[in-house]
Amino acid sequence: MTRQRRAGFFFVLPALAYFGAVFLLPLVESVIGSFYRTVPGGASRYVGLRLYDKVLTDPTFWQAVRNTVSLVVLSVPTTVVLALVIALGLHRLRSLRWRSVWTAMYFLPFSVSLVAAALIWQWIYDPVYGFLNHLLAGLGVPPQKWLQSLDQVRPSLAAINVWVRLGFDTIIFLAALQAIPSEYYEAAAIDGASRWQALRRLTLPLLNPQIVMVVILELIFNFKVFDTVYATTQGGPAGTSQTVIMLLYDTAFKYFRLGDASVMAVFVFVSLLLVTVLQWRFFRRQVEF
Amino acid sequence: MAAGAVCVFFPFFWMAATSLKTVPEIQRVPLQIFPDRWANLDNYREVFHRQPFARFLLNSALIASVSALSSVVVSSLAGYGFAKFRFPGHGVCFFAIVGILMVPFQSVVVPLYLWINRLGLVDTYAGLLAPDLVSVFGVFLMRQSIEVVPTEYIDAARIDGAGELGIFWRVILPSVKPALATLVIVKFMWTWNELFWPLVVVNSPTMKVVTLGLVSFTNMYFIEYNLVTAAAVLSIAPILAVFLVCQKWVVRGVVMSGLKG
Repeated sequence: MTRQRRAGFFFVLPALAYFGAVFLLPLVESVIGSFYRTVPGGASRYVGLRLYDKVLTDPTFWQAVRNTVSLVVLSVPTTVVLALVIALGLHRLRSLRWRSVWTAMYFLPFSVSLVAAALIWQWIYDPVYGFLNHLLAGLGVPPQKWLQSLDQVRPSLAAINVWVRLGFDTIIFLAALQAIPSEYYEAAAIDGASRWQALRRLTLPLLNPQIVMVVILELIFNFKVFDTVYATTQGGPAGTSQTVIMLLYDTAFKYFRLGDASVMAVFVFVSLLLVTVLQWRFFRRQVEF
Repeated sequence: MAAGAVCVFFPFFWMAATSLKTVPEIQRVPLQIFPDRWANLDNYREVFHRQPFARFLLNSALIASVSALSSVVVSSLAGYGFAKFRFPGHGVCFFAIVGILMVPFQSVVVPLYLWINRLGLVDTYAGLLAPDLVSVFGVFLMRQSIEVVPTEYIDAARIDGAGELGIFWRVILPSVKPALATLVIVKFMWTWNELFWPLVVVNSPTMKVVTLGLVSFTNMYFIEYNLVTAAAVLSIAPILAVFLVCQKWVVRGVVMSGLKG
């Protein structure tokens, strides 16, 4: 028995050691690093909460937080609602073959790197030769500047994220829909429930765990958005698409202010943790219809 | 449904069409949908001419393959350990690993970079691979899959005198082949598409991976979209091929991660 127990421990040991070295240790170091100012020359000095004070009162930082939150607000609800609608639509298709063809098409962008996705869209958004403005011109709308406009840059970036993530969410919802026994709907129909009532009182409550989970996954994904911004606007124009992770990257690897970057790293970690925990606690009940 | 799917697909078509056009064709008014010459591969030639793009593709393929393989090995070992053994600290260890899902990579990137730097691994394959060798998702997936393998099989093998590793190799692995396939494919895709860590750890052009290569075709002021789209097609084609052939397994992975939370 003890031999077996020891075997079990040895099986998990490589994974434990790896995650410890690559995630847990650096996480602890990030927290410690946020209390030290690294002076050029290599030596670091303990400065207490001074770096927190500096970063958390920096308007540039809060601008980045606001931009990130605004991107999250623009893309998360859009992605989740669209994915639900598409999943419901696909689920109602009778032809299994067409269902799998359309599902595959919705899922396709998920396989592509965010860099490639962003660059394809940047070309579509191009103010002069872009497809989108050509399309709008056909409808009599004057050319827009999209990624180069102060107001449109965030919605445009959010749309890219929606495009990438839509298929992922759709597939999760579709799988959950297929797991609902059809007897439930037959019973609802016998009780005289309309289609709309069945959706509201049966389907959506049953999908509740998936909805909560997808929202959390999307929040985390969109909060960490970096690749699309880096590949297209680099935070511009005039800092309107500067996100927290972009700022963290620049602070650490462009300006080498490692202490400041560590403060941001702790901020990102704590906020994602809070969001997730709060969601599990409250949102879970609120989605009940 | 069909209309939406076509809209979602359109950017792919537009990318491919643009990559076959010349600059005057791109700038033609009114807009021209299809390229004049479908066999115009000049943009692709130019991509390879300007940057060592073949090398980028090779680097990406190497990194993605190694990370997929190492991930499968370590994850299935750990998954087996967590699914079928009860050892002291079992619960804490599993909780700790799943908890890492909550740690954004960007929160650990600075200390990680300092370590890689201290070890002299900046700009090496080892440095590139370091944070990608195992993923929490893999451990989780393998635990879920191995849990449903009947314990009687394991006990029977033990009575027959099989060693613990022998059981793992001959009983466990063959019964979770679908999960292994899912993990290999998903992990390959993830590593192939990654930008953040390569950006941090790569300096020299020859060590660049394909996402970095793609970014190098853009700059703030002037972008040659005929070349960008050609490079994008080159970077997407291999992963799209893998994806289309193995879509079943990818979907399985997504659903596993989705349904189990």
